[in-house]
Amino acid sequence: MFFLHNLERRVLLHPSYFGKNMTELVTTKLVKDVEGTCTGDYYIIAIMDTFDLSEGRILPGSGMAEFTVGYRAVVWRPFKGEVVDAICTSVNQHGFFSNAGPLSIFVSTHSIPPDIQYDANATPPQFTNHSDIVIEPGTHVRIKIMGLRTGVGEMFAIGKIDGDYLGYS
Amino acid sequence: MSDFGDDDRDPIADEPAFEEDPDEYYEPVEDDEADNRPVGDDEDPNQVVNSGDPNAAANHGKGTEKSHKDKKIPNDQRKTTPYMTKYEKARILGTRALQISMNAPVLVDLEGETDPLQIAIKELREKKIPLIVRRYMPDGTYEDWTCEELMQ
Repeated sequence: MFFLHNLERRVLLHPSYFGKNMTELVTTKLVKDVEGTCTGDYYIIAIMDTFDLSEGRILPGSGMAEFTVGYRAVVWRPFKGEVVDAICTSVNQHGFFSNAGPLSIFVSTHSIPPDIQYDANATPPQFTNHSDIVIEPGTHVRIKIMGLRTGVGEMFAIGKIDGDYLGYS
Repeated sequence: MSDFGDDDRDPIADEPAFEEDPDEYYEPVEDDEADNRPVGDDEDPNQVVNSGDPNAAANHGKGTEKSHKDKKIPNDQRKTTPYMTKYEKARILGTRALQISMNAPVLVDLEGETDPLQIAIKELREKKIPLIVRRYMPDGTYEDWTCEELMQ
C-alpha cells in the first residue's frame, strides 16, 4: 500500500559545494540519496517536498556541513495479503520469480494452480496449462503476497497465484 | 564481547549481577511496547499509516528540533566574553583551513597565497570566515557568536 510519510534525514555537504545555492544542493542530494531506497519496512518511491531545512552544522574533524531536512515522501509498504501486479523475471522448475516494482516475489509451484505445469522444453522455460495461459519472463501476473522477509536495504516476498482473480492477466 | 560472555558463563559465576540487570532493563521495554501497541491499534481501523504518521512524524521531528532551539540564548542576552579564546581561534582556523583545502570557496583575495592555513588566517583577519561559534553553558543552553562579532 502506498503512504505519504513524513521523514527526516541528515544530509552531509562537502565544503566544495558551499555557496549561495546550498539549500538547492541539499535538496538535490537528498533526492539522489533517498529516492528508490528500501529502509527495511518500506520503499521510498518519491519525495514530494522538503521542509524544515536546518542551519548547517560543521562536523568537527571532517569540515563537512550537516543539514537536517524534513521531507514528505511517497512510500510503498507491501503487506501480507496484498495483491500486486508483477512482471515475471525468471522461471524454473520450483516456481517463478517476478518483480512488483522494486520488490522481488517468488511464487512456488505449490502456490500455482495444479493445471498450470512447468514446461522445460519450451524456450524460454515456462509455466503453462497448454491452452491460453503462458507464464514466461516478461509475463504480467497478479500475485497475492503470502509472506515478506526484510533485510538490510532489501525486501523479499513469497506470493501465490492460486486464488480468485489471481495469476495470468 | 558481553554477548559471548553471557552465553559462555551461563551456568556458574555471574548470576546475581545479571539477574538484576535484565529486570531493570526489560521492564521499561515492556512498558514502552504496551504504550505503543494501543496507539497502533487505535489507528489501525481507520487508515493505518496515513492517519497516524503525519502528526506523529511531524511532531516528533519538530519536538526535538524545538527543544534544542529553545535552548538558544538570544543575541541581546549573551554574557560570555566577546573575545575569541585561543581555543576557538585554533578550532576555527583549523576547520576553515581544512575546508579550504577541500576546495571550499575562498572569501578573500588570495594575492598568490596557496597555503590553506595562511588563507584561513587571512580570512580571519578580514573577518570573512563564515563560521559561527556555539558556546554551550553547563545547563545545555548556548550562545551563538559569529566570527565577525568575536574580537581578537
